[in-house]
Amino acid sequence: MRRHKPISRRTLLRGGGVALALPWLEAMKPAAAYAATELPHRPRRFAALYVPNGVRADMWTPTGTGSAFELSPALSSLADLKQDLLVPTNLWNRASEHGDGHYVKTSGWLTCTTITKSIGIDVSCNGVSVDQIAARSVAGQTPLASMELAIDPVSTGVDTNVGYTRVYGAHIAWAGPTKPLARETNPRLAFERLFRLTQPHGSQSQRDLLLLDRVLEDAKRFRDHLGSADRSRMDEYLESVRSLEERLQRSTQFGGTWQPLASLDPQQIPPAEIPDDHQTHVRLMLDILALGFQIDATRVGTFMFGNSVSGKSFSFLDGVQGGHHDISHHQNDPEKLRQYQLITEWHVQQYGYLLRRLRAMEEDESNVLENSIILMGNELRDGNSHSPHNLPLLVGGRAGGRLATGQHLEYDRDTPLANLYVSLLNAFGVPTDQFADSTGPLPNVLTS
Amino acid sequence: MSAHLPATGTLLLLLISTSQAAENGATFDREQASIFLRDYCLDCHGPSNAEAKLDLSLLVESPTANQEGLTEKAALWHQIWLRVKNKEMPPTDATLPEPPERSAFTEWVYQELHQQLCAGGIIPSPPRMRRMNRSEYAGTMRDLLGIQIDAGASLPDDGAGGEGFDNAVETLFISPIHAEKYLDSARNALQYAFADSRTAEQLLIAEPANDLPDSTAAAKVLEAFLLRAFRKPVENAELMHYLGLFNTLYEIEPDYRDAVRQTMEAILISPQFLFLIETPVQSEQPVLLSDYELASRLSYFLWNSMPDERLFELAAKGELSDETVLVGELQRMLGGGDPPEDDKRQRSRRRRDDRVRYFAQNFVEQWLGTRALGRTVIPDPSVGSFDSELEGGMKYEPVFFLDYVLSQNRSLLELLDSDYTFVHRRLARHYGIEGDFREQPRLTELPEGSHRGGLLGMAAVLCVSSYPHRTSPVLRGKWILETLLGTPPPPAPPNVPPLPESGQAQSASSLRQRLELHRQNPACAACHNRIDPLGFGLENYDVLGRWRTEDSQGNSIDSRGELPDGTSFSGPEELKQLLLDHKDDFIRHITKKMLGYALGRSLSLEDTCAVEHIVQRVKSENYASHSLIFGIVQSPSFRYKAGTLPAARVPLEAPSLSVTQN
Repeated sequence: MRRHKPISRRTLLRGGGVALALPWLEAMKPAAAYAATELPHRPRRFAALYVPNGVRADMWTPTGTGSAFELSPALSSLADLKQDLLVPTNLWNRASEHGDGHYVKTSGWLTCTTITKSIGIDVSCNGVSVDQIAARSVAGQTPLASMELAIDPVSTGVDTNVGYTRVYGAHIAWAGPTKPLARETNPRLAFERLFRLTQPHGSQSQRDLLLLDRVLEDAKRFRDHLGSADRSRMDEYLESVRSLEERLQRSTQFGGTWQPLASLDPQQIPPAEIPDDHQTHVRLMLDILALGFQIDATRVGTFMFGNSVSGKSFSFLDGVQGGHHDISHHQNDPEKLRQYQLITEWHVQQYGYLLRRLRAMEEDESNVLENSIILMGNELRDGNSHSPHNLPLLVGGRAGGRLATGQHLEYDRDTPLANLYVSLLNAFGVPTDQFADSTGPLPNVLTS
Repeated sequence: MSAHLPATGTLLLLLISTSQAAENGATFDREQASIFLRDYCLDCHGPSNAEAKLDLSLLVESPTANQEGLTEKAALWHQIWLRVKNKEMPPTDATLPEPPERSAFTEWVYQELHQQLCAGGIIPSPPRMRRMNRSEYAGTMRDLLGIQIDAGASLPDDGAGGEGFDNAVETLFISPIHAEKYLDSARNALQYAFADSRTAEQLLIAEPANDLPDSTAAAKVLEAFLLRAFRKPVENAELMHYLGLFNTLYEIEPDYRDAVRQTMEAILISPQFLFLIETPVQSEQPVLLSDYELASRLSYFLWNSMPDERLFELAAKGELSDETVLVGELQRMLGGGDPPEDDKRQRSRRRRDDRVRYFAQNFVEQWLGTRALGRTVIPDPSVGSFDSELEGGMKYEPVFFLDYVLSQNRSLLELLDSDYTFVHRRLARHYGIEGDFREQPRLTELPEGSHRGGLLGMAAVLCVSSYPHRTSPVLRGKWILETLLGTPPPPAPPNVPPLPESGQAQSASSLRQRLELHRQNPACAACHNRIDPLGFGLENYDVLGRWRTEDSQGNSIDSRGELPDGTSFSGPEELKQLLLDHKDDFIRHITKKMLGYALGRSLSLEDTCAVEHIVQRVKSENYASHSLIFGIVQSPSFRYKAGTLPAARVPLEAPSLSVTQN
């Protein structure tokens, strides 16, 4: 029930039509344009990119540690980004060990908690994901608290085989135990959403606020008749209405402080149809993430290359035939292992694509990548064994100089993944020493 | 195969008392059940070595075990029943019970369990309160505004819970993005509706005139709109609330239509529109739904959309819950009967009510998993050309098929085998069916030897149960067990032993031989003996569902299968016959699925009482599809909402709706 700062709009609205009918649009505009100096320079960003089905394990870990390390075959495409990378190894996610091979690990990847086994009735991740902790720390500074992007629609149905709803396999971002965040999969719609944020709202915002206000009041009247479970369901919606209201209030029209840090080129609009081609689709979504960071629409994002247990066909890659999940169950068949490696490399290449895009986005004397923390990883190491030990993880970007990149950091076996998250939160600007089952920050991740 | 089926075939469990059961020859009791568990289960699932963390000695060795009812550990008993009935337990390398002993045990468990669970009737669900899902939203906007666009296209998609459908209350989450998307969608849809004079007129039933002040005209428009948008009678306070908004907007800019349109925008982002809400019950005991609530339950079940004028009228008069009226309405909603003769004057009218197709689509695509086709399941180019025309034909075949089964009150068993199907030009060519076909799928009688008929001959089904680059007897076998029979195999154990790489395996070139080697491992065999043979029965269909007699390597297809009990078959025709021998499993499963869909929630063990009741009715009425629909609608699960006493029950008996089969 957070109420935003009492902007005078409510009084104005209640004041009746006369005040409103006059040129209130202009009247409410501040005299001068917002001084750029009021904006925090170089906002830091955090993104987590999820890859399903594990990686070719024996080709992942770099040789050598510290700054004297050689990229592994899986990471070889990142040579030009080596100094922007951290490769932490030997971390694991204890909370996701038992339950099943996939869902418990996917939904718990960013929460480091054990999800409740459920086909629906009591879905809970029992925690909050690390991206959302980061988002909360900068709440209100950008129009969107966070951006959730994905390729596959949520698979319908429940996996009766293991007794989990597939909802779990489609969510890594959790705003709360029972709040998996909806993802956007259509690059065109996602772009239009960003584009609208950069446009002046005009009189429409003012009227939208009127409507939202009315709706909230209507809801209030019958909300009290509901039982407590229903009431909380209703409140989730009302919260979403309120957050839209707050965003409109923050928009330029009402003396808000937010301004896009860069303009969006409408020519860049993606095609209306979601592309059939997987690589094109992935890159368009990564572009959206990059643009969202560049214009400062949000500072936190997640992206899922596929849902858990994705059977996506990778036959579009030369030398690969078949579905991702099937190939990941390689049973040490050399042919399947070879294909598995190609799929792993392809994912790393897409990661490189994003990092280079961010690097090309200039920002003051530096670039967006310099000010970002881009995590990529997988909830399990080897798709054949489903083990959450020694997870494959990459961190790119320097968080404005806070991350000691250019290193392979090898930790003691079974160091908590949550420790990495503590350090990344610190790098992002959240002064915490604890996250989920962490035992402290990870040494050597931060510069100071 | 049918030898061990009487266990489920005679599931009159709700009605049979123990003594009757005894007369039928099932002389089994709690003590014998204990002996069974001790003899066949405790070696592995005992206190010392509880495999799979399952210690069954609690059911056997505690001093009071034989006095306790099964409901104390109902879920556990149910699990035991399922695994033993499916012959997954005990594993093949353990001491096995003789078939009669096995079926006596499973029959007894099922009957006892259900008799105890269902005593006193069923427990209805709490009053409904959930948001519409994306497709319900689209359907409702279409019918509310009279527009033919997908107003829900930009909403995030929904996951599924419970029985596997995206209308389950428990998985309809709300994210911050929703309000924004609802506002956009409402604005776009209303602009679209107001831009068209025909749809605009239907919404703007009053315009200001000399003798009709603006506000009065708006009140008329909004009152009519609110009733339909909120699906209930309008309270005066509500009307005043939104009329107040109209007045404010009208003062800002005196454009009547614009102010009405924007007021409607607000109504369409109100939770009273976006959520399906039933009034909470104040009393302890469950109560019948109101007629308006019933209208919405019916329409969101069978149309995936809001009630129409007629349902609202009947609700307003309080007549909808009258059983005779309800039967008539159900038949109308299901769109039965032949389309009327094409009358020129009526050409613009709907030929028959075809909204049941929206239900058919949402139900069948999620039940069969065919929604994934073209989304996450895309076959490789190497298996053949998969263009959008073929994709459309494949996806629509089961939808049109179920639509037909429902609207024409056909036998549900036609889903397992039929002498007709629905194809369009591209799919007919794909199947090698000759005739005159167009772009729309149409009813087609299948020629002799077409290898089609029933779900298992449908390309969409065969494709979503394959890998992108090859068929998989394991996936297809699992699909049959899970989707048609409702007896999914348990998950594979972690760290599956790899197929041997040397010696034998090298020479075992075909998939069949390799899978047979795999099954020599008892850990694999318990389940794969059930799974693989079923899938091999479909090997004559390639990834895209085309008929073949050779695989891609040129080996001739061997579609024989032998099940654990020794039943053997060859090819899809005999496989279908085998499934028809298991028709009660199938009927029970589709009943469960459809009840879960109709209630929009997961079923609990208690709900099997309602399920069995409906199953009995469907069987006694010759498997007519309307028996299932009417059985669901008439079930207290559908008609009641729970009161404040969570465990209060409603008796199962209710007046019977009569069904006449075509």
